[in-house]
Amino acid sequence: MASENAAIEPEISAQANNPEFYENSSTEQVITKKDLNKMVWRSLFLQASFNYERMQAAGWLYSILPGLKKIHKNKHDLSESMKSHMEFFNTHPFLVNIIMGIVLAMEERKQNRNTIRAIRVAMMGPLGGIGDALFWLTLLPICVGIGASLGADGNPIGALVFLIIFNVVHFGLRFGLMRYAYNTGTNAISSLKENTKKVSHAASIVGLTVVGGLIASFVQLEANLVIHAGKAEIALQEDLLDKIMPNLLPLGYTLLMYYMLKRGLSPVILILITVVIGIFGKIPFPFGTIL
Amino acid sequence: MDQEIFLQALLIAIWAGIAGIDLFNGLFHIHRPIVTGVIVGLILGDLPTGVMTGAAIELVWAGMVPLAGAQPPNVVIGGIIGTAFAILTGQEPQVAIGVAVPFAVAVQACITLMFTAFSPVMHKADKYAEEANTKGIDKINYLGILTLFVFYFVVAFLPIYFGADAAKNVVESLPAWIIAGLGTAGGMMAAIGFAMLLKIMLKKQYIAYFIVGFILVTYLQMPIIAVALIGLAIAMYDFYKTTGGQGAAMRGARGRGI
Repeated sequence: MASENAAIEPEISAQANNPEFYENSSTEQVITKKDLNKMVWRSLFLQASFNYERMQAAGWLYSILPGLKKIHKNKHDLSESMKSHMEFFNTHPFLVNIIMGIVLAMEERKQNRNTIRAIRVAMMGPLGGIGDALFWLTLLPICVGIGASLGADGNPIGALVFLIIFNVVHFGLRFGLMRYAYNTGTNAISSLKENTKKVSHAASIVGLTVVGGLIASFVQLEANLVIHAGKAEIALQEDLLDKIMPNLLPLGYTLLMYYMLKRGLSPVILILITVVIGIFGKIPFPFGTIL
Repeated sequence: MDQEIFLQALLIAIWAGIAGIDLFNGLFHIHRPIVTGVIVGLILGDLPTGVMTGAAIELVWAGMVPLAGAQPPNVVIGGIIGTAFAILTGQEPQVAIGVAVPFAVAVQACITLMFTAFSPVMHKADKYAEEANTKGIDKINYLGILTLFVFYFVVAFLPIYFGADAAKNVVESLPAWIIAGLGTAGGMMAAIGFAMLLKIMLKKQYIAYFIVGFILVTYLQMPIIAVALIGLAIAMYDFYKTTGGQGAAMRGARGRGI
């Protein structure tokens, strides 16, 4: 490892004046197994400060903070790193450890900030989907089924059995995935070092494809209005909007939010506007509700 | 008697606070009704009823999981209020479920408001990040945990101390459209998060991929994992096409997915 680090260093210090990069470009391996385990425990607080503006961002930063502190001894570098990790983040609370492992390996190797961001964003969506399928739709129903069948007979052991099975799998995966992802990340980076810009570009492609898909699946907005024109009834959603394009409203609303953000409106204002629109849309007018 | 119910409501409220934290953080799953039933049964001195009601409520909520971040009726409060109601009034578990579900829906609407209210705190977090103030980031997250505890504590204490039945009436007197409207707003919220991502990531050369992802889900109903794999395929094609000439430099990267 040491000889490889020496090879990377001159390349990075040449770019040290670029704010994208680092004042301290040492890529020494400082993260230990103990640090990784500590950060797994901290990641239990991933959603401590959950909110609609950044979702898990502050909890994510909290989870990896011991690692960042150890990697970036220079205050400027630590500040740059912390700022970028305060950006919007949301994934499955169990599988977050995979992203943590890879991102920590990248931080330790002082990778380009944009690459780290792109990797984080490209991974969070798919892992969210895999986590839902794995934990909420598979593990939980199985464990609940076993526990509840014992409990229906009034046997309190059911609860205990449920907790033991669930958490053995849960924590086994968390600690295992963290270590696995960190090692994979460390190895992959040294072989990809010449191509960080291209990797960043590739990760952005995956990221943007996923974001396009996520908007279509997770933003929920449908019109409920029926327009009476003479004897004809036109359901705004089915007869008009869906004919133009399904998911037109979710896409339109997201792009509107994007436009407003670019115009400098704060996300908090946008959240409040959204709450008002939601409630207004459900007011029972004589002609029905709008949404 | 009054003192006894006060003490019981206090203990249940503390449990609600702990379980409420566990719903989002820790995720040991002690917040599930099957566990809560045992604890509330012990506190109210009727373990068998607690266990049986907890198991019945558990099955109602078995399919209601936080898929893709969409929050189902609040399982913590549903389990606690339902079990306590069954034990305190001697009703069947099914009646307890009828009381628990509307209550849990209303509580979830309050949580939507709480997630909204916590958004401004992120600007404080940005400031701490700018100053590289790690203690500040810690503090913000501990504040979030404390807020969750206090919220669940209050929401569980009041109905049990003043009677779950009275609470149900209050919930039912709220106009349905306000609760429905909060639900609709909750469904739209994700748009803001994605818009923030787009603001950071969207450059002209990436708009094409964004459109592809949107089309794959909208018209082909593909799951996100499939969309990600297609994105990965395009990215790999692009990667090897543009690095093809470099030969030797690229050999090491072959076969690594990310």
